[in-house]
Amino acid sequence: MKVGIPKGLLYYKYGVFMKTFFDKLGAEIVVSPDTNRQILNEGVKYCVDEACLPIKVFHGHVSYLKDKCDVIFIPRIMSIREKEYICPKFCGLTEMIANSIPDLPFLLGEPIYWTPKEKLMKWALNTGKYLTNDKQKIKKALESALSKQNKTKNTIKQPKLKYKVALLGHPYSVYDPFLNMDLVKKLNRLNVEIITEDAVDDKSIDFEVNKLFKKPFWTFARNTYGAAVNLVKGQKIDGVVYISSFACGIDSVLIELIEHETPNLPFIVLKIDEHTGEAGFNTRIEAFADMLGRRLNFAYNNTAYG
Amino acid sequence: MLITIPHMGNVYLAAKALFDGIDVPYVIPEPNNKESLQKGSLYSPEEMCLPFKLMMGNYMQSIEKGADTILITGSCGPCRYGEYCELQIKILSKLGHDLDFIVLDAPGEIGMDEFLRRLGKIFKASSKSRAEKLLAIKRAFRVMDSIEKLEAKAHYLAGYEINKGDCKRILRQCKKDAFGCDNPVEMLRVIKEYLKKINAVPVDKTKNPIKLSIIGEIYTVIEPYSNLNIEDKLMDYGVSTKRLLTPSWWYRDIVLKPLKLNSPGLRRASKEYLPLYIGGHGRECIGEAVLAHKEGMDGAIQIFPLGCMPEIVTKAILPSIQRDKNFPIMSLIVDEMTGEAGFMTRIEAFLDMIKSQKKTN
Repeated sequence: MKVGIPKGLLYYKYGVFMKTFFDKLGAEIVVSPDTNRQILNEGVKYCVDEACLPIKVFHGHVSYLKDKCDVIFIPRIMSIREKEYICPKFCGLTEMIANSIPDLPFLLGEPIYWTPKEKLMKWALNTGKYLTNDKQKIKKALESALSKQNKTKNTIKQPKLKYKVALLGHPYSVYDPFLNMDLVKKLNRLNVEIITEDAVDDKSIDFEVNKLFKKPFWTFARNTYGAAVNLVKGQKIDGVVYISSFACGIDSVLIELIEHETPNLPFIVLKIDEHTGEAGFNTRIEAFADMLGRRLNFAYNNTAYG
Repeated sequence: MLITIPHMGNVYLAAKALFDGIDVPYVIPEPNNKESLQKGSLYSPEEMCLPFKLMMGNYMQSIEKGADTILITGSCGPCRYGEYCELQIKILSKLGHDLDFIVLDAPGEIGMDEFLRRLGKIFKASSKSRAEKLLAIKRAFRVMDSIEKLEAKAHYLAGYEINKGDCKRILRQCKKDAFGCDNPVEMLRVIKEYLKKINAVPVDKTKNPIKLSIIGEIYTVIEPYSNLNIEDKLMDYGVSTKRLLTPSWWYRDIVLKPLKLNSPGLRRASKEYLPLYIGGHGRECIGEAVLAHKEGMDGAIQIFPLGCMPEIVTKAILPSIQRDKNFPIMSLIVDEMTGEAGFMTRIEAFLDMIKSQKKTN
């Protein structure tokens, strides 16, 4: 059986897990290619207009896969940590896809709860039964997928450069170079190296998050907020670049919370949607990099505006 | 302590009854208006949804009148409503307002002790006895229930009334008179009187008006200013409307949720299209659309604020219901820029379409 895995959304974080799990079950795996113009256009065509860019791109990946495999896996991840969620759109992802794209093959879109492990096992059994009748095989596949996933760590290799900024945003915006228009390379060319939230350990994140009035119930919000505040307080960075999709509900809260904690640091929010013009995007990044230079070269007590 | 609440439909009447009953000083902000929206949007993040902006506007106007404590409800679902309080506290303190926020999250999420501690903050300021406090709470709930009953009746009878405008006039007058009362007993009496009046409105039962269901995001369907008074306008057009989501539905839902006894009908109806709770009231919206079709309504109007995450999911699903059941559904998106004329044109076109469909059937 051919299982299609769309290369969108949390593939960038849990791709290893998805591939290993289906591979161990003996399925043939078809992964959609890196996001490209055609996939984006397909996604925009099918997806509901109000959705954010990553969701639209994901629709494009599914549409690419629809006649190339027997079933398509939809990573409907409800929650990664206990009492925390991803986003309502993730919870309803399977329904969104099923009602938006015509002529789909069967969708493997069972809800995934990452913790506790019994719930994850339930998902594995529910999903695996379409591929094999052997329960032991499914359990083994889950174990090896988990252990492989735990060993991999998401990183972007960075050279040592003059300025260092925190690149914040949801994993699929940060790690998909088409979505963010090759932001990392562009920054590197401007003598700016980046550090992502993955560089901050869980304990330091918890330490910062616990100071909030209300514990954030979005995993991305928790990670990004905690990591940002930790990096700012540690004075390890010269600025913050936040890559955010237009109309993201989580970011509308999160950016404000982070800005509140970084009063004297250059902070740029780059909004992306399917219309983003690359030239304007480049100009803004260049201006930001210039400002970082001015702050370091000419003054020591500048405002956040340079 | 001078307590205030943000607006949401008729909640201000119940809040007034409660605060009058326990004798705690309070400020009810002006009804939502252009100024409160402008003030609210000025201090809110740009991409934030409309309810946040209107609530901020309410706070700003109450603060001008001296309010120093804000009472709001919370949630811990994946919808961003649960994060409102965090951000509002930060924004208001940045503006130099030192306010006490009382956030009533569901007891299941924060623990019963914490819930009672927060609730206790309001009642500490009251000099009334325990029995009187409980009575005041009971009366506030009764005010909420009866004003909603009146409102639902008025909206439904508007399609059948013989003298056009009767229902609308009675509803308006009732709200005005109820707000003028200074004690809950008096308020309940006034509402009861108007309930009698609305039952006596002359109706023509042979009429076959257009019947619509109002579905969507809870704040924007309940708060008339945020949806440009859509229910009043539909009353003017002689359309009967029904709406399930009300403040009293909401608190019943919260109480019954831990027992999984909340709205079994909606669960069953939504199962085919959306079998999971996705936060906000997305599943309810789908359930309502299916139920509206079953009840023989002629169509449904979905209203939600721009960028509302759960409703974007439902907007992707609703066309399937529309197609499968041949049931017209229109989605209206509201934000602080919504122009009234374009909004009206869309509603009129929708009504015309249903009218012609009704004729051919």
